[in-house]
Amino acid sequence: MKRRVPIAAIFIIGLFIAFFLDGSISQMFSGTLFKYPNALVPNLTLLWLILAVFFGNTQKLHLELWAAVIGFIFDMYYTGLLGVYVFIFPLVVYLCYTVYQMLPPNFLSGFLVYFLGITVLVSLGFVANAFIGEADASISEFMVNTLAPTLALNLVFMALSYFPIGALYRSHKR
Amino acid sequence: MQKFFSSRKLVIVIVCLIISFGMMTLSVAIRNKQNTPPIIQQFGNDIVGFADRIVATPMNGIDHGFVSVKNLLNTYQENQQLKSKVDQLTQTQVKDQVLERENKQLKRQLNVGNTLTGYQKINAAVITRTPSSWASQVIINKGQAAGVKKDMPVIAGPGLIGTIAEVNKTNSKVVLVSNTAENSNRFAIQIVGKDGKVVNGIITSYDSQSNRIVMGNITSKAKLSKGNRVTTSGLGGVIPKGIYVGTVSKVAQDDYGLAKKVYIKPAANLNDIEVVSIAVKD
Repeated sequence: MKRRVPIAAIFIIGLFIAFFLDGSISQMFSGTLFKYPNALVPNLTLLWLILAVFFGNTQKLHLELWAAVIGFIFDMYYTGLLGVYVFIFPLVVYLCYTVYQMLPPNFLSGFLVYFLGITVLVSLGFVANAFIGEADASISEFMVNTLAPTLALNLVFMALSYFPIGALYRSHKR
Repeated sequence: MQKFFSSRKLVIVIVCLIISFGMMTLSVAIRNKQNTPPIIQQFGNDIVGFADRIVATPMNGIDHGFVSVKNLLNTYQENQQLKSKVDQLTQTQVKDQVLERENKQLKRQLNVGNTLTGYQKINAAVITRTPSSWASQVIINKGQAAGVKKDMPVIAGPGLIGTIAEVNKTNSKVVLVSNTAENSNRFAIQIVGKDGKVVNGIITSYDSQSNRIVMGNITSKAKLSKGNRVTTSGLGGVIPKGIYVGTVSKVAQDDYGLAKKVYIKPAANLNDIEVVSIAVKD
């Protein structure tokens, strides 16, 4: 019988692929995603983390640690501004985990929790960038042109990948 | 329900906030002062950049496939249009050659060395784009090893798109002119009006609502009109003279009515960049 790849390894490899896909999708579809004045920012990295919160074992996978690691790489490689996502990613993971524990585990509550997670992620990212003068949009502009489109895009991604990734984790539980 | 904010957690949150602000301030300070990020960050970026190519290359390949098919469908129409322009182009090219030679000879006679216009190009491909709505950055696959330095101007297609913000060994970050950050996009540019008068200035901001570069604080009386061409002026350091930036789309008064504000339509499409060249001053 073939030896099975442990779920932790799949999780880590998937995390990095999701991380690179974020940049690649932004680059490939930049004409559509960043069409003025709206910005639809793909956040597959967070999607992968949150789906692991839903289906995987948070303690066994060391989710918060990996969230911090990928956040640090995100800061270093994509933005060049350290200390932003290295804290926001673990915070969002922790928050989503806490809220998800209170809800019945089904698609709708997952959808709701992910909605919350993306909102917190994008808003805190905006606050941090506004603090150092990197983002200069007003809050209303940010809500309409960045937050709303980004939420729409990421919820579509979430709806598409919820069941396949759920199946992946379930097949490794047995 | 567990207690959400126990005192221990509160302490952790505050410590994290302090570290976060510290790191942010530090990285901004480093970016503004030094030419390269610290060696550890550079090393990490190089490794991540290398790994990224494994994912980015096939993705870009798929993209190229789609673009090729789209191009094929437009070919006939484009061919018709281009044919009519070819004759004109050859003429300009020949004239350009002659003028360049003449210019060189005259410079030699006058004993003038390199002027502001001369530059070499380093070509690079775009690996990826920062997934963020305000940091308009792309990452390209040439770095220190190829001779890229900080603040060099980057050209894509017809015109200027941005400057190098961070240089690693094998990749570097390009901040596009569409970045709205306070500390970016300060290019020295000039506009030649219809009457031949030159207006000098710098890019002061970017209007993301309408995709226009804004050149502010102009007190010159020279008359500018829509369609005037904007180029870099070569003043103030690393950026050579004569890189095409865009055309004037609107001239307006600034908020206080004292100076003029010129809205410039960028020549290059800032959202469709695959290959760039970095201009290195001679």
